[in-house]
Amino acid sequence: MDATGIPLNWFLILSACLFVIGLAGVLIKRNAIVVLMSIELMLNAANINLVAFSVYNNDPTGQVLALFSIGLAAAEVAIGLAILLNLNRLRDTVDLNDLTILRW
Amino acid sequence: MMFENIPILTILLILPLLGGIIAFFMGERAKLAKMFALAVSAVTLIIATVLMFDFFGLGSGLFGNYQYVEDYTWVSQLGISYILGVDGISMPMVWLTALMSLVAILFSWDITNRTSQYMGLMLILEAGVLGVFMFLDYFLFYVFWEVVLIPMYFLIAIWGGPRRDYASIKFFIFTHVASLVMLLGIFALYFQAAGALGHSTFDMREIASVAGGFDIAFQTIVFGALLFGFITKMPMVPLHTWLPDAHVEAPTAGSVLLAALLLKMGSYGIIRIAMPTLPGAWDINAGAYVVAEFPGLTWMQVIMLTLGIVSMLYGAVMCLAQKDIKKMVAYSSISHMGGVMLAFATFTQIGLAAGVFMMFAHGLITGVLFMMCGVLQHKTGTRMIPRLGGLAAKMPKAATVMMIGFMASLGLPGLVGFVAELGIFTSTFVAFNWLLLLPIMSVALTAAYYIWAMQRVLFGPLTKDIDLEHLHDLSWYEAAPLYILVAFIVGFGLFPSLIMDYITPAVLKVLMGGF
Amino acid sequence: MDYTGLFELAWIIPILPIISFLIVGFLGQKIKGRGGIIAVGLVAAAMVLSLTIAYAALTGGLPEQGYFEQSFNWVVLGSDFTIQMGIYIDAVTALMLIVVSFVATLVVIYSLGYMHDEGDRRRRYFTEISLFVGVMLGLVLANNFLELFIFWELVGLCSYLLIGFWFEKPSAASAAKKAFLVTRVGDVMFLIGLVIIFNLFHSTSYSTIFSPEEIAGVDQTWLMWGVFFMFGGAIGKSAQFPLHDWLPDAMEGPTTVSALIHAATMVKAGVYLVARMFPLLVHAENVMLLIAVIGGVTAFMAATMALNSPNIKRVLAYSTISQLGYMFLALGAGGYMFALGLEEGNEELMVAGSLGFAAGMFHLMNHAFFKALLFLSAGSVIHYVHTEEMAKMGGLRKHMKVTSLVMLIGSLSIAGIVPLSGFWSKDLILETVWEGRLDSIIFLGLYVLAVLTAFMTAFYMFRMWFLTFAGEEGEATKHAAAHHDEHHVDSHGSDEHDHKESHGHHEAPWVMLAPLIVLAILAIGSGFALFIGSGFTSVIYFEIPYTHDAGYWLEKFFWGESSFLTYISLAAAVLGIALAYFTFYKKRVDAPAIASKPAVKPLYNMLLKRYGFTKGYDYVGEKIVYGFSLALDWFDRKIIDGLVNGFSKLIQRSGAGLRRAQTGFVQTYAGVVAGGAVAMMLLLFFLLKLLGIEVHP
Repeated sequence: MDATGIPLNWFLILSACLFVIGLAGVLIKRNAIVVLMSIELMLNAANINLVAFSVYNNDPTGQVLALFSIGLAAAEVAIGLAILLNLNRLRDTVDLNDLTILRW
Repeated sequence: MMFENIPILTILLILPLLGGIIAFFMGERAKLAKMFALAVSAVTLIIATVLMFDFFGLGSGLFGNYQYVEDYTWVSQLGISYILGVDGISMPMVWLTALMSLVAILFSWDITNRTSQYMGLMLILEAGVLGVFMFLDYFLFYVFWEVVLIPMYFLIAIWGGPRRDYASIKFFIFTHVASLVMLLGIFALYFQAAGALGHSTFDMREIASVAGGFDIAFQTIVFGALLFGFITKMPMVPLHTWLPDAHVEAPTAGSVLLAALLLKMGSYGIIRIAMPTLPGAWDINAGAYVVAEFPGLTWMQVIMLTLGIVSMLYGAVMCLAQKDIKKMVAYSSISHMGGVMLAFATFTQIGLAAGVFMMFAHGLITGVLFMMCGVLQHKTGTRMIPRLGGLAAKMPKAATVMMIGFMASLGLPGLVGFVAELGIFTSTFVAFNWLLLLPIMSVALTAAYYIWAMQRVLFGPLTKDIDLEHLHDLSWYEAAPLYILVAFIVGFGLFPSLIMDYITPAVLKVLMGGF
Repeated sequence: MDYTGLFELAWIIPILPIISFLIVGFLGQKIKGRGGIIAVGLVAAAMVLSLTIAYAALTGGLPEQGYFEQSFNWVVLGSDFTIQMGIYIDAVTALMLIVVSFVATLVVIYSLGYMHDEGDRRRRYFTEISLFVGVMLGLVLANNFLELFIFWELVGLCSYLLIGFWFEKPSAASAAKKAFLVTRVGDVMFLIGLVIIFNLFHSTSYSTIFSPEEIAGVDQTWLMWGVFFMFGGAIGKSAQFPLHDWLPDAMEGPTTVSALIHAATMVKAGVYLVARMFPLLVHAENVMLLIAVIGGVTAFMAATMALNSPNIKRVLAYSTISQLGYMFLALGAGGYMFALGLEEGNEELMVAGSLGFAAGMFHLMNHAFFKALLFLSAGSVIHYVHTEEMAKMGGLRKHMKVTSLVMLIGSLSIAGIVPLSGFWSKDLILETVWEGRLDSIIFLGLYVLAVLTAFMTAFYMFRMWFLTFAGEEGEATKHAAAHHDEHHVDSHGSDEHDHKESHGHHEAPWVMLAPLIVLAILAIGSGFALFIGSGFTSVIYFEIPYTHDAGYWLEKFFWGESSFLTYISLAAAVLGIALAYFTFYKKRVDAPAIASKPAVKPLYNMLLKRYGFTKGYDYVGEKIVYGFSLALDWFDRKIIDGLVNGFSKLIQRSGAGLRRAQTGFVQTYAGVVAGGAVAMMLLLFFLLKLLGIEVHP
């Protein structure tokens, strides 16, 4: 029990739920943009964990890492969207079912 | 000693290596690349020749020791050093390498496809083989062993015949897998020696100084691993099938170097590395495993002599069945390398000397034979024996050279192969008595396939299957290398002691367990 | 007198023809006559030197120990194994030098005429024949068996090249191959024997290994095997049963080659080898017996094959095999007796044995002369009629008076008619074999075979002579006569044609006739060497020196105790000649009718088929060896390479299966990654549980 009064497990359950929702989105959604968004969800789930543990352990390193992670997520989205844009331009689609040229 | 303060072996090694890299990037200037490669290989040969004479001047007492040694530490933490040296065994091989490279480059004068890359690869190949014959450090030995593979792979894969993809990949996989097994053996030696010495080293001499004391089982296994790598390269039956394919598809000069030099690396490895380093695997006096039924015969001897005899006879019988003359010559190489193996298996001075001499002799002879296959291919457009016939009437020079080559290969006295064969059979009798009756049958078989091939290719009525309009005798760039080789075949046949004198003291040292 | 200085020059003898080989070989195309004159000159120079040295050696010029030797180390194969090169001159060498150099010179001179029409090919001919003469002289001068083997192989090469001189003829190419391969089988045996001897003595020098101390110091069983295998080489080279079948085929070469290589010199190398090995062989009486039996059987068998051969050169070839068999018979019989004598310390037996040795060598010399004569005469006939079939000849006596006369001399000599050379040596051989019956009953059988052979020899030689020179003119004779007459008219008045009037204008040119006449004189007279000085046998001896004057020999032959043998063999010869005379000249006996009788026909055909040996060799070569190689080729491609390719297929197949995992759906991959991560975590969790390891934070 710490300053916020909320038990650590609640944070963990929240982030687990968020992570599973994100994972489900990544695995199920056909639209590449939605998949990208789902990845953001998974990253944020990890961020919640980092911040929660940081507060729980009274160690700021976790919060620093979370900041890095946010920066990384921003970069990833930028590159990911750029790729998708190019894909759309070339193949006229962002449906993952149509993007199987690496198939055996 | 002329080269006291000159790193002559390094020069010998660097020259073709640098030359090869330069030639490789000459691009479209084909003529220049050819001239450049020829010049580099000629200078290399001159240096090697001068070196050989200088070496001879040292006196036979020193032929068993390494001369012109250059010893620099490279990576001291791992014990990797740069050690070069030649003795009575490697000196003739080094010279042979320089000679064969020169004639192979000369013989490729009519190459038109990617000439500069071709010439570059030839020179790099020469450097690789020279490295194998001169390095006394396992690390660099292995590196150069593998370096040799790459140019040869490309020579087959780019300038080869119709099935070149199959042949080049087969060649690469066979030899590469074999050298990995050899590498395992080397590592086993390295770690075991590090324990015994107290520091890690790849120096062959240092490892050899302690390896004789290793556990007999360990020595035998490591010997087996090394042997596996070497016999695939030689190659011995049943690991031989890459050779005929590689030869059939390789360009002529590639075949020449493959048969004359690359095969010798295998047998050289046996006598340079396996035998002196691990006496416990083969030497009764060192406690090697003895066959219970035949005291006096070690298991390793039995394995080696079986490989040797089987390869000799198998190769010879296979030659009889071949329709492609180049394939026939390829199988004859297997047969002759089997003789080398058999000679080594005797572990007598005369046997080892004859084996090394056979390596040298076979190098010269097989060069002529493969070049003649190339000549037939160029002039008649086919190498299939049944389609040829009566060529002696139209190509007397080629026929004469081919006949000398065949005669030398079947061990005609007065040509270079005879002394080697005599030594092999004498040593076989010394070591194994009546077992001589098996390998000696190859003498008759060898005569049979060569004489029969000659009858069908050179004699009889002129064939009607080929275009006779364009059938000319040897061109200058074919004649020159062939005549050079024939001159040496006759010269060393009449005066074998010119080479043999280097070999005998050196192999005695090997037998004594000295490195 | 000290001849050491002269003997030291002996190494020049083989060098001279080899110089000719080099000159003609490299420059022949630029020389007029394609180098023939150079070859003649240098071979003749070698002959002069040979004869000088032989004369010195045979007239007591040899050093005390009975031989002159000079050598250097050629190559050192190991501390115990040194191969020497050197010169060894003793009486046997001297004899061989005389025979080889003399016949060679005459044949090369003869070749100038015989090969005249061959144009540019003469260069190859004279190159190869010069090489042959050089290496053959080297063979007889060698001072150790290894050196002998080296030259042995080289004469084999020359024989191969010269048999295949007209290589565009398939039969010639095939005959050359057969000669090389069949003798190679013998050579393999020789090599085995050589290796055994080399290993026993650590040397192959005659002077070392012939010393009684050395011989006593080695394992006698190994010694026996060693000489046995070396004799195998002699069987191949001298065309003895069962490796005899190459020699008749070798007649595909030019007739001069047949005369020089396949009658007078190279095929004698086997006999020479046995003579050389004598000091070793006398310690192996079983091998001696084998030599005698093989010699006797071959002599008989080859003579039967000569009886009905239609080809003039083939008759002479069979005759050569048969006569070589005689020589082996003599050496074997003499050696056997000598070996027994040596064992028992019986001096008398040893003397009788050494007489056999002398008889063999004596016959070698005489045979070289009369057989060269016969072959060259046959060559002259073939040169004229352009066929080798005797059925097409006939009646040539009128056109070729000299040739017919010298051939008659040769035939009389080989038939063994007194006092021609063949008589003396053949009789000595028969006597030796007869002597041998006391020690082994086998020799009685061999004696009967030998006498029958003598009868057949006389018969087939005169059958040949009558068919060729007597009787009706055959079609080839008529054709040739017509052609030559026309030719003669054409060239009338010009002196570039060497037709001497006295020889009849159809005769061969003088360069061919002169050697024939010289050889004819020798065929008559070389037998008298028995009577010169202290006699042939006193010089060509083995260890036991003894001298006999002419009176001794005449008594021995004509009125001594064993003179009945002489009359038996003479009777056999005369009977043979008479039978040939009545059959082929007088035609009192209808030969074709007899040959076609059902009882005789199979035998007749079997002889024509050479007892099936030709088929047998072909069967071994084509069916057994080649068949096996084809089977092995199949094994190599399908089984060994099949395994290799099968292994690579296996890897390719499994790769092809596994790559199905690459669906190309990103989400499948992501699912696998997520599932994998979960699986790993669970695995780790349970593994730690299982091992009872607690993880503390």
